[in-house]
Amino acid sequence: MTLPTRPLTVTINGRRYGPIDVAEGLMMIDVLHEVLGLTGSRLGCGIGICHACVVIWDRDERTSEEVQTCITGAGFFDGKRIRTIEGIARRDDKGNLLALSPVQQAFLDQFSFQCGYCTPGFVNAATVLIERLERAPVPSAQVEATVAAALEKHICRCTGYVRYYQAVRDLILATPGLTRDAA
Amino acid sequence: MIVRRTGLRIVIITAVVLIAGVAATAFAMRNLWSGKTDGPVQVVSAPADVVARGKYLTEAADCAGCHTAPGGAPFAGGLAMPSGFGTIYATNITPDPDDGIGRWSAEDFWRALHDGIRRDGQQLYPAMPYTSYRGMPRADADAIYAYLMRRPAMKVANRTTELNFPFNIRLGMLGWNTLFLHDSLPAVSAGSSPAWQRGRYLVNVLGHCGECHTPRGIAGEMTSSLTGFALGRVAAPDITPGGLASRGWTGAGLRAYLGRGFARQGSAFGDMHPVIMLSTRNLTAEDLDAVAIYLLGDNPPPPAPLLATDATDSAAASEAGRMSYVALCAGCHGLDGNGVPNTVVAMRNNSTLRLADPRNLIVVMLDGIRAENFPHHASMQAMPGFSDKLSDAEAAALANYLRVIWGGQKGDVAASVVRTLR
Repeated sequence: MTLPTRPLTVTINGRRYGPIDVAEGLMMIDVLHEVLGLTGSRLGCGIGICHACVVIWDRDERTSEEVQTCITGAGFFDGKRIRTIEGIARRDDKGNLLALSPVQQAFLDQFSFQCGYCTPGFVNAATVLIERLERAPVPSAQVEATVAAALEKHICRCTGYVRYYQAVRDLILATPGLTRDAA
Repeated sequence: MIVRRTGLRIVIITAVVLIAGVAATAFAMRNLWSGKTDGPVQVVSAPADVVARGKYLTEAADCAGCHTAPGGAPFAGGLAMPSGFGTIYATNITPDPDDGIGRWSAEDFWRALHDGIRRDGQQLYPAMPYTSYRGMPRADADAIYAYLMRRPAMKVANRTTELNFPFNIRLGMLGWNTLFLHDSLPAVSAGSSPAWQRGRYLVNVLGHCGECHTPRGIAGEMTSSLTGFALGRVAAPDITPGGLASRGWTGAGLRAYLGRGFARQGSAFGDMHPVIMLSTRNLTAEDLDAVAIYLLGDNPPPPAPLLATDATDSAAASEAGRMSYVALCAGCHGLDGNGVPNTVVAMRNNSTLRLADPRNLIVVMLDGIRAENFPHHASMQAMPGFSDKLSDAEAAALANYLRVIWGGQKGDVAASVVRTLR
């Protein structure tokens, strides 16, 4: 038996992939892992709840949002632009690491994770949040609540969230332009 | 001649209205004069078996559904009920002497349930379903009273109703009651067995199912019994024998759904979820059976099989709808539509897909459903809403695909229907 296939063209981390034939009904996480060799996104619950598998969907030039790849078919991403955890740090043309992103560095500095399984999801969620605050800053008094609302869907089973939330809060408060009240 | 006859009619009508007005005023005055606000705090002693029966009846009547606000103290009131006429707040029915019903006698309690009149003589609004509870025997009302009066008193003040003029005049309910308050509600099915009789009492009176499932007229009165109505965003579907059978419901399915919250035909969501958690899950096996027998009748209609989709319908279920299903739904509900047992409901044979009205299907696609816990430690995972991922046309195409493939319905949903539900 052969599964029907569909052509998929997708831009991931600035690089265009495809068109490649993908079995219909395959979830995007399987395509990332098995077809494209991008194994950084983590499969957790498989039913869209834990958010370990999220990628960043660059919906247009201005807006980015999270999408769970474990419950979203590869076909959804046809013609779309996404970023995975592999594309968050800055690299040179040869792929050598130049610098971690501020979010990644903050998580390391604050010992935010232990086993690290949920970390790619948290990095992407925090990245999306910071990009949103660049467009629409919030008063610093609301940062704590804003961080909690943005990250609450992400499940972590070792460190109890506090250090993730602290790291993102501190990063936002320390980054000019993300809050809008006068210092 | 015609003029004179019309004149005579006007005189007669005016006289009737005047007499009715005077009678109503006199009746209201009698209620208000006999109404009480202070008085002794009632001390209720009732045998344990009466109190236990009162607890069961209180659950079957789902008093907590409205009189316990989410996160609030049991029976202390506070749930807001928005209506086309304004917002009504459920009251405190704990035995607190000042905020609750601590000074109410069993007679006062009976009058509220049976006639819709408060202890102070004022009219209740039919958000309190005395229209249904009117069929309750006095002994059952007294048992509920005995149970409630033995609950802990809660000092929670009642909120004032916020109704617009002229609906804020409680006296107006006298006319409403004259027109719409009946001693019993019509039977929804044919039957005569003892189980059917019991089911009629559980559904029409205690469960007050018609308050949501029966369409309401312009004055808020109940019309054709249990044929389905959208009081809120999620519509209460048609639960007549014909309506249920057309969506594949059987006695076994109804017993499972009301007893544990989900069945092969789907899981409870929206306003039906608390009904199951607070009320129907507590019914005995015999009473669940009685409810199912009454809803379907002593001779239940056979559940409608899913019709084989014909070529035109399949064409209507466009490729676009299928692609959206594969991209956004199949990850959990499965390419085969079978879902995941105890986690994700099946699309195949799903009652919501088999409704002729696409409203609930579209509302769920747009809003999602939060994670729900069910009796016996069962649960269903949260479903995300897809309002930001589906355009009106895409959502309509997806709804049509689901309706045609797994609902046996027509693929006739237009994008404009989705737009009005956003």
